Amino acid sequence: MPSAALAPSAQGLYERLASFDPALGGLAERSSALDRFFALSSGRERPGRYWRVDFESILPEAAALTTDGALAVTSGGDGRAIVCDLPTAAREHPNLLARALGKTNVPSTKFGALATAFLQVGTFVYVPADRAVDEPIVIAYDAPAGAAICPYTVVLAERGSRATIVERLTAQTGSLVVAAAEIVLGESASIEYAAIQTAGEGARVLSSRSALPGRDAGISLYSAELGGAIAAGDLYVRFEYPGAQARVGAVFFPTGTQHVDVVSTVDHQAADASSETLVKSAAREHGQARFLGNIRIAPHAQGSDARLRDDALLLSPDAHVDSVPALEIGANDVKAYHGATVGALDEEQIFYMQTRGIERDAAERTIALGFFEPAVEHFPTKALRDEIRATIAAKLQ
Amino acid sequence: MKPMSEKGLRVAGLRCSVAGTEILKGIDLTVEPGSVHALMGPNGSGKSTLAFSLTGHPQYEVTGKVFLDGEDLLALAPDKRARAGLFLSFQYPAAIPGVKVANFLHAARQAVRPGDLAPAKFRALLLEKMDQLGIDPSFMGRYLNDGFSGGEKKRLEMLQMAVLAPKYAVLDETDSGLDVDALKDVGASIGALRAGEEGGETGFLIITHYPRILQYVVPDVVHVMIDGRIVKTGGAGLAHEIEREGYDKIREESAAVA
Repeated sequence: MPSAALAPSAQGLYERLASFDPALGGLAERSSALDRFFALSSGRERPGRYWRVDFESILPEAAALTTDGALAVTSGGDGRAIVCDLPTAAREHPNLLARALGKTNVPSTKFGALATAFLQVGTFVYVPADRAVDEPIVIAYDAPAGAAICPYTVVLAERGSRATIVERLTAQTGSLVVAAAEIVLGESASIEYAAIQTAGEGARVLSSRSALPGRDAGISLYSAELGGAIAAGDLYVRFEYPGAQARVGAVFFPTGTQHVDVVSTVDHQAADASSETLVKSAAREHGQARFLGNIRIAPHAQGSDARLRDDALLLSPDAHVDSVPALEIGANDVKAYHGATVGALDEEQIFYMQTRGIERDAAERTIALGFFEPAVEHFPTKALRDEIRATIAAKLQ
Repeated sequence: MKPMSEKGLRVAGLRCSVAGTEILKGIDLTVEPGSVHALMGPNGSGKSTLAFSLTGHPQYEVTGKVFLDGEDLLALAPDKRARAGLFLSFQYPAAIPGVKVANFLHAARQAVRPGDLAPAKFRALLLEKMDQLGIDPSFMGRYLNDGFSGGEKKRLEMLQMAVLAPKYAVLDETDSGLDVDALKDVGASIGALRAGEEGGETGFLIITHYPRILQYVVPDVVHVMIDGRIVKTGGAGLAHEIEREGYDKIREESAAVA
């Protein structure tokens, strides 16, 4: 349906759709997803006083869109789960894939719609019923310099299963990554899903990750936005069945001239579900960040328990973090809590450490690193936690 | 008075203002190695201000002289004062979320005594001191003072003092919030450092408004501070006098002298 009014680059995107794997989406579906991308807002359309990035205008160059340079390297799982690339999943496990792909809100988000239009690079993880996968599954995506990739991860966890999945995103200079993840959990399944992006200079990273837990299921959805010039990520959990639990966590730390924008949403549409959102962010030099934390509790979602906590640390006079908690509570028999702080390093903490012989610079770095820790310590795998800590520590130097 | 270059924590003519108000109006005292000085006085007399002046709190404007074994402390940043051998047990220690007790203590020991203990030996030392102070080993993995009770914070201050084995320690109301068993542990810890069991004979300035802690640590010298001045100095008997009669008599005497 591309209209004549579209700019040449947008026109080029429609022309590229036919070159992507038809088994993962026909031309009509892809075209309709691209229409949605253009029609939707990312919810970031109002740049504030400090907010100068227009996420709505970020568009991949059609020529840069690639599938072969963007290898998805997977490891782990110990053979107890199916882990394969999306074209393989579409041919060998179409029925399983269809139970998760497109089942969350991802295709109806702006960034998710773009990833859906160019669906091909990605990974399918299937965890059979009552299967515990002890070895974490690690999925790595890398965008070559100047390329645009849309890595898409789909997880289907059957009843009573358990697994840990780590998505590692790297992106070389000047690249664009539009990442999506859909996680569908059966009754009493338990999934920990953590994404870390350490994109390189000038890279842009957009993402939409969404989970749909079954009855009494448990989902942990974490993200660490540490690299790139511009990063915007959506984290979304929707409770449609009672008794489920979600833990949502994000850490981000723009330094230099980085911009990071994270939106988390926990949507309580079922009774007796509980959620805890914990966000720790800092900004340094000219780094800019915004966090929007949504908690929605539907009128029929009685017995909901929702907690939202976000703390931001400003480490330079020109750094800025906007923190916006937004609670919409429609039911009356619920527990809902939110707390937010934005502030500089505490002089009393610095003085205390100094009286123990620790130099001021080291004290400041230690306190700032510690500030992230209550969120970082929940991330799965020691290797990932250590990588996050080391990346933050390097940004504090 | 002996020269400032001699051993001891030597304070002369110390004045301190906070936000333009003079709190300390000329303090002179010398804590010798291995000696225990008690600094008593009613609330608001300036005792804690003295503790912060000695350690270099950034909000305190300080004039006068403070020498630690001949080193001019007022010229140094707080961390350098600690490395020179000064320790402060805080009345209200700061909580630092995300920084684990064991890591913090190791960093502090490394800062004050670089490279003197291999990690395994440091850990053994830490466990030994925790045991002596009745601190559960699980504290090593907790965040520094975060969610600690008042008594737990004070025990952790004493643990830090034991691990750092300073030349001079200022204890600001360490006894408040401690039960009798904890006070005994603190007394034993001070006794060990004072006797030089950690290599040097630590000198102490113990700030308190109640003489209770002095049942467990017998002071060599007792000073009474009122309104930013030391108005009376005596032996351990002075603490008992205060216990019996409070500060009113001393206040009247000092007012009469002034």
